[in-house]
Amino acid sequence: MICAGIDAGSRAIKIVLMNAKTHEVLASGHTDQGVTQAALAQRLLEQLLEQVGRRRDQVARIVATGYGRNLLDFADTTITEITCHARGVRHLVPEAMTIVEIGGQDSKLIRLNPQGAVRDFAMNDRCAAGTGRFLEVVADRLSVELGALGELARRSQSPAVISSMCVVFAETEIVGLLASGTAPEDIVAGVQKAIAARVAVMAGRSLDPPILFTGGVALIPGMVEALQSALGHPVAVAPQPLMTGALGAALLACRREGAARTH
Amino acid sequence: MTEPPRQITLDEWDARHEALRAGGLQEPFYGGPLRRHVADGDFRLLRLRFDDSAAALRLWNFLLTEEDRLHAARAAGKKIVGAMKDLGTVPVMAYSLPNLVAFYPDGAWWIPCVMELSAPVFRAADSLGVDESFCPVRAMLGAFVTGGHFPFPDLLTCSVGATCDDFSAVAQRLNGLGYPILWWEIPARRRPDADEDAIELPGGFRAPAAQVAYVKAELERVRESLDTLAGERLDETALAAGIRTANCVRRLLAELRSLVFTAALCPLPALEMLIAEMLAIHFCSDREETIAVLRDLLHEVKGRIERGQGVLNGDAVRVFWVNPVADLRAMNLLEECGGRIGGTDYLFCHALDEIPENLPPMEALARTALADPMVGPASDRAGRICREIRRFGAEALVVSRIPGASHCATEGDVIREMAQSQTEIPTVEIEVPPVCDSLQATLRTRLEALIETARERRNR
Repeated sequence: MICAGIDAGSRAIKIVLMNAKTHEVLASGHTDQGVTQAALAQRLLEQLLEQVGRRRDQVARIVATGYGRNLLDFADTTITEITCHARGVRHLVPEAMTIVEIGGQDSKLIRLNPQGAVRDFAMNDRCAAGTGRFLEVVADRLSVELGALGELARRSQSPAVISSMCVVFAETEIVGLLASGTAPEDIVAGVQKAIAARVAVMAGRSLDPPILFTGGVALIPGMVEALQSALGHPVAVAPQPLMTGALGAALLACRREGAARTH
Repeated sequence: MTEPPRQITLDEWDARHEALRAGGLQEPFYGGPLRRHVADGDFRLLRLRFDDSAAALRLWNFLLTEEDRLHAARAAGKKIVGAMKDLGTVPVMAYSLPNLVAFYPDGAWWIPCVMELSAPVFRAADSLGVDESFCPVRAMLGAFVTGGHFPFPDLLTCSVGATCDDFSAVAQRLNGLGYPILWWEIPARRRPDADEDAIELPGGFRAPAAQVAYVKAELERVRESLDTLAGERLDETALAAGIRTANCVRRLLAELRSLVFTAALCPLPALEMLIAEMLAIHFCSDREETIAVLRDLLHEVKGRIERGQGVLNGDAVRVFWVNPVADLRAMNLLEECGGRIGGTDYLFCHALDEIPENLPPMEALARTALADPMVGPASDRAGRICREIRRFGAEALVVSRIPGASHCATEGDVIREMAQSQTEIPTVEIEVPPVCDSLQATLRTRLEALIETARERRNR
């Protein structure tokens, strides 16, 4: 018996197939998000099932999470990404107490209790300044690939100060910095610092270590260092940061399936 | 067997109203089907879900006919008092005189929500330089200027001082346009120094005796204006009687709140509870009818509790809600996400506390006014919220911010931090604009995550 977790994020759809009894990950994958979210997710699910030689009717339960979760009408349950990331990260790093998740469209700070359940959370989904969208804007403005931003930032000797609290205004600021001859690597490093600063505001005064960093932005080199500096605590990148939401959703699907069978 | 109560749409209310009428429902003069209010431009009703009881129908009809009542009062020769920024003090005084009617012009802040921004009130406020960076209460300015919502009051009063900056700016702009306002000052409540005479206030607060005396003197000025307007003296006997009647409203609400927040099954939805609580501020321009409406609701709630009926699943999470929402739809959303209302602080808790009847009336009113959560330190308000969370057994806390509302800017963190440290329940802060449709996905995620967290905590 297998269960599936689907994380329909703003930039990508991620799926984890899991053995419901052993919690072994059988397959996982991701695809770019698009307008027809349900169709894209269905297609990826079918591809992963084919990889492991299973059929759709052998999936006992599907939990959908993420920004587009309510559009996946073939899912059995929806659970928020806060609960799912917490579950996924804690499964991979059992000692995790705080999770920072930065995705394409929002960022979250999740505090866990010693048992691993969510104790409290904060979210920024109203302003792009603390999200991956900011990096997309700067990559576009500097005409570099998103994946190359990290390497560029590593070369920075003196990160630029991006003072604006708004991505739209920050873009204007970046144009001004370029015009004044500021090196692109310093601009990228400055943007990373600005994103981390927004997360630090969300974190408030107290943070319990260990702090794990997850979400697509965690894959970008330089971001974890910027975050460590802003939070004033060591931060570790979670294993498979792109997949922790889907992993948590799959684990919760297994738990619910187990509970349903017990009853 | 009584039909189980449920929440229904406006479309469903059409048939429900017919059925109730066929069953012998007797409605007050302002009764009728809810749909007629849509014809008046209240389009938001089409997106809300309502309690299906006759008592709730009466509540909604009472709320949505206030402007008619004010016009009728004017036609009957009564004088109208617009009590601005005062949540429950001047109206108690005004209603103590038989030929005065008080209303709450600030309530115009819901016009853009109820009319789904079709009302020109925001445009009018924009044109006067009070744009969307201000609290939605700027709609009041537009309502005055357009004159399309309530009759112009014979007397406008407004409390100033320790009130929110946005409202003060809006009221001053109104004054500057030539609308005369009787300003009365309420100082920022502070804790008494060790060498000062201290006075106990409703709500468990304390203030220096000098501050109470000051507010009392300010209210005396208001009384003189009311005397002049009414053409008769508001004496101690009439005021004491007015306080007793106001307390009748407050006691009804106290009982309703206690029953609804603590019943095993939620007997009344969050939306109707919000509307009911708002009646405490100014009696929706008819004090006696307010009492009748609340008695009806209380009767309905008691009946449901006795029958073991509720409007939501038994496992709904009890959520304490802080601050009123600009979009009424948010209250439905709470329930759609698996929550139920389990305690409230809509910024006018002092209007729910009984006014002391064992004191001289003006002294009692001054103490009540000074217990306003908005005029004291945020930590006082947070402390009261924590006490209420424990009293009602709330399992989660929502602090709802109002875009542009300056009195909420820093309070949210104080309230959340104290609630987390004292009660350990999960908390979340949300922002609800006048029409939240475009933000519904993000609001839903926050509320669902809060409910999930509270459920996980409950299961532990």
